[in-house]
Amino acid sequence: MEKIKAELIVVGAGPGGYSAAFYAADRGKKVILVEQDDRLGGVCLNRGCIPSKALLHAAKLISETKEFAKNGIEFGEPRIDLNKLREWKNSILLKLSHGVSMLAQRRNVQVVRGRAYFEDSKTIRVETSEGQKFYTYDHAIIAVGSKPAMPKAFDLGNPRIMTSTEALEIEDIPETLLVIGGGYIGMELGTVYSILGSKVVIAEALPNILTGADPDLAKPVAARARKNFQEIRVSAKVKEMATAGKKIRVVMEHDGKIKDELYDKVLVAVGRSPNHEDLGLENTLVQLDEKGFIKVNEHQQTDDPNIYAIGDIVGGAMLAHKATKEGRIAVEVITGESSAFEDIIIPAVVFTEPELAWCGLTEAEAKAKGISVEISKFPWAASGRALTFDKTDGLTKLIVEPETERILGIGIVGHGAGELIAEGVVLIEMGATVRDLAEAVHPHPTLSETLMEAAEAFYGYATHIYTRPKKTVE
Amino acid sequence: MEIKLPNLGEGADSGTVVNIMVSEGETVTAGQPLIEIETGKAVASVPAEKSGKIIKILVNVGDKVTVGRTLMILEAEGEPEKATTAQPERKIEPQAEKTTAKPVAQKIEIEEVPVEEETEEDEQKGILPPAASPTIRKLARELGIDLRHVKGTGPGGRIQMSDLKAYIARLHKLAQLALKKEAQPQTVPQPVSIDFSQWGPITKRPMSQLRQTIAKRMLESVTTIPQVTQFDEVDITRLEELRKKFAPQYEAKGARLTFTVIVLKALVMALRKHPIFNSSLDELTNEIIFKNYYHIGIAVDTEAGLVVPVVRNVDHKSAYELAVDLATLAKKARERKLGLDDMRGGTFTISNQGGIGGGHFTPIVNKPEAAILGIGKSQLKPVVVNGKIEPRLMLPLAVSYDHRLIDGGDAARFITDLCNAFSQITEKDLILA
Repeated sequence: MEKIKAELIVVGAGPGGYSAAFYAADRGKKVILVEQDDRLGGVCLNRGCIPSKALLHAAKLISETKEFAKNGIEFGEPRIDLNKLREWKNSILLKLSHGVSMLAQRRNVQVVRGRAYFEDSKTIRVETSEGQKFYTYDHAIIAVGSKPAMPKAFDLGNPRIMTSTEALEIEDIPETLLVIGGGYIGMELGTVYSILGSKVVIAEALPNILTGADPDLAKPVAARARKNFQEIRVSAKVKEMATAGKKIRVVMEHDGKIKDELYDKVLVAVGRSPNHEDLGLENTLVQLDEKGFIKVNEHQQTDDPNIYAIGDIVGGAMLAHKATKEGRIAVEVITGESSAFEDIIIPAVVFTEPELAWCGLTEAEAKAKGISVEISKFPWAASGRALTFDKTDGLTKLIVEPETERILGIGIVGHGAGELIAEGVVLIEMGATVRDLAEAVHPHPTLSETLMEAAEAFYGYATHIYTRPKKTVE
Repeated sequence: MEIKLPNLGEGADSGTVVNIMVSEGETVTAGQPLIEIETGKAVASVPAEKSGKIIKILVNVGDKVTVGRTLMILEAEGEPEKATTAQPERKIEPQAEKTTAKPVAQKIEIEEVPVEEETEEDEQKGILPPAASPTIRKLARELGIDLRHVKGTGPGGRIQMSDLKAYIARLHKLAQLALKKEAQPQTVPQPVSIDFSQWGPITKRPMSQLRQTIAKRMLESVTTIPQVTQFDEVDITRLEELRKKFAPQYEAKGARLTFTVIVLKALVMALRKHPIFNSSLDELTNEIIFKNYYHIGIAVDTEAGLVVPVVRNVDHKSAYELAVDLATLAKKARERKLGLDDMRGGTFTISNQGGIGGGHFTPIVNKPEAAILGIGKSQLKPVVVNGKIEPRLMLPLAVSYDHRLIDGGDAARFITDLCNAFSQITEKDLILA
């Protein structure tokens, strides 16, 4: 059989895979990008980040207009045309995925549609619509991503039990919706459905929603969610689910009581699992960890010398921008640079109401690791811009190394926190000090001032809050 | 307060717990050693920073611990620890944190070569990534430089490009210094040619190959072996009479009964009792190799220079056989007919200058042997025997030995036993079969 030779084969065209393919092509490599889906862009573009953000935008539009009634502008009840909304959302995805295809073409990255299978460490077989094709390569990057986890006990084959993939299709707006999992996916999609009109109950097994974020930052999110949602249940364990006519019967243990309830739909958002199956990895030297993620070193190298892996399939934070960075590192290593995934700041954003974002060290992490830090906070009630947005439920927080006054972490909760956190990433990556931040003029009136004022508050001279000066200005 | 593993010095960022010297609930005083850590280079103890009570011990003997790891919880006197908070409220007492952390780093007793100017080691520094921009971190990675060793001069100790450059310049300088040192070992002065003709007429002669070999071997011996020489004198009045008595019989059989034959006889007796003098040190494996055979090298003075042929299996040979061997080897040596095999495999060497003159001298160990016996010229000396002064024929003995293998006490015992061995030699040992 004839084997087609490529310098680099990237398996999976999500944000990690396609950006790695493009970057390698930009560096002069002959690249083949394999994708089993009709559309490029992976989960992020088709079933994750982008569609959820489109729906969240729609939801926020509704809640903002409703909330503004008290300030003198009132609209009638919104008329929701789900088909049109879905169409709009899908048009975005189409546009973006088409854009990715165009960019691939411009770079001479050959896109092969089909399922990839490693025959051995040197050969990939792709099942295409025109039959099997065989490829050899100098290097391969595995970027096959992850899928929503669906525990066996919940997998009844009933379409009323959804994962994020189905939920993003908004087939209807169920009257009652149970969201299992209070992480960022559950909270975001819960927000969408609750604002569109569902009565949403969140059931989280852990004692807190949005674990990973500092509790003081998660608090405004939880407070707002309690208004939007019917109920937030923490330390809640779903025992049993069963089809009950046109409903789902759910037995749950919560607050020491067993609750037996009926829901129109259930969204299972209990995490994501790696797509390691049916890849032929057993024919290579690639090793998996006990959770099924591919093991890689700091250079994104697997145990097979020619095979790299990036993104969700290697575990860690399952975020598109982490995958993209890992892809860059893999390509740089392949092209002879000594890049490594070391001390890289990966920001996290939860697009709830209000948004929650953080980067670098969290306060909780500092405690756990025994790193002594000083905290400086600026509450948004003191921000003029937050008041004009009518969104004062926010907080900007700096986590600071006391000795050097270096900024180790930043947390922001509030309107547009996802955009604001980018400044924090640059500050930490640059090794900036609180003084650097305090001295840099931020435009007025913007929410970005809250960062500067949090820095000023560290020294006790923030203009818009009064704190007893604790440090003399040098 | 938490007792953490302090900085152990350059190159040692971890160690193994070898001894825990306190137990939970025990009251300790400030400075009292709590735990011993072995670091490949030394064993160091970690002392208590303050007086108080040990609440909890968090490590076990055998644990590998890294710098900054909490070893124990100490409830300092007068400031009881909040029982369960593993997290110290540092914010409240950053001062205390600072003042206690640093003395520990000094208190720890480790003998170490001081390394040139180091940045002040902060406990946090090990955990936190170095403060530097992505550009600088990338460059450092490409150059294989660990930024934790680079002192940042920017705000908050941020490492700037200039800091990285200064660090590289310093490394370069150090490397050059090291190269220079290597090229010119300080112990051996660079050879220089001196023009002696400026002070008077001279003649030049090239050094023979043998001379050069001797020079090299002697230099190697004295520069690599710490050597000590032990002196003694042995009364050989009786033995010299015996030798004279038997000498004609030997001569009749074409052999010469020299005193060296008698020395060989006595020496083997002493070597049997002190096998370390018949051993060698394997410098690679640090093993001592004891030889169960006795091949004794005899330093022979020839016109060309010193050669050391070897008499084999001395312990199995009669005085006559030894005399024959010695004569054969001496003849070969003078005629420069010694083969390499004649000079290999010695276990101990004798340098007998008795036939020439001179008293005690300090022979140099014939590496890889462990010791050498130097014999001077015997002389009649007034010696007190049974309270009366008598003229006795005294033989000067000198044993030089490798002090890495042999201590002074062993040498004194050896030379004493060697002297005794001489007195044990009787007619029976010399008589011809």
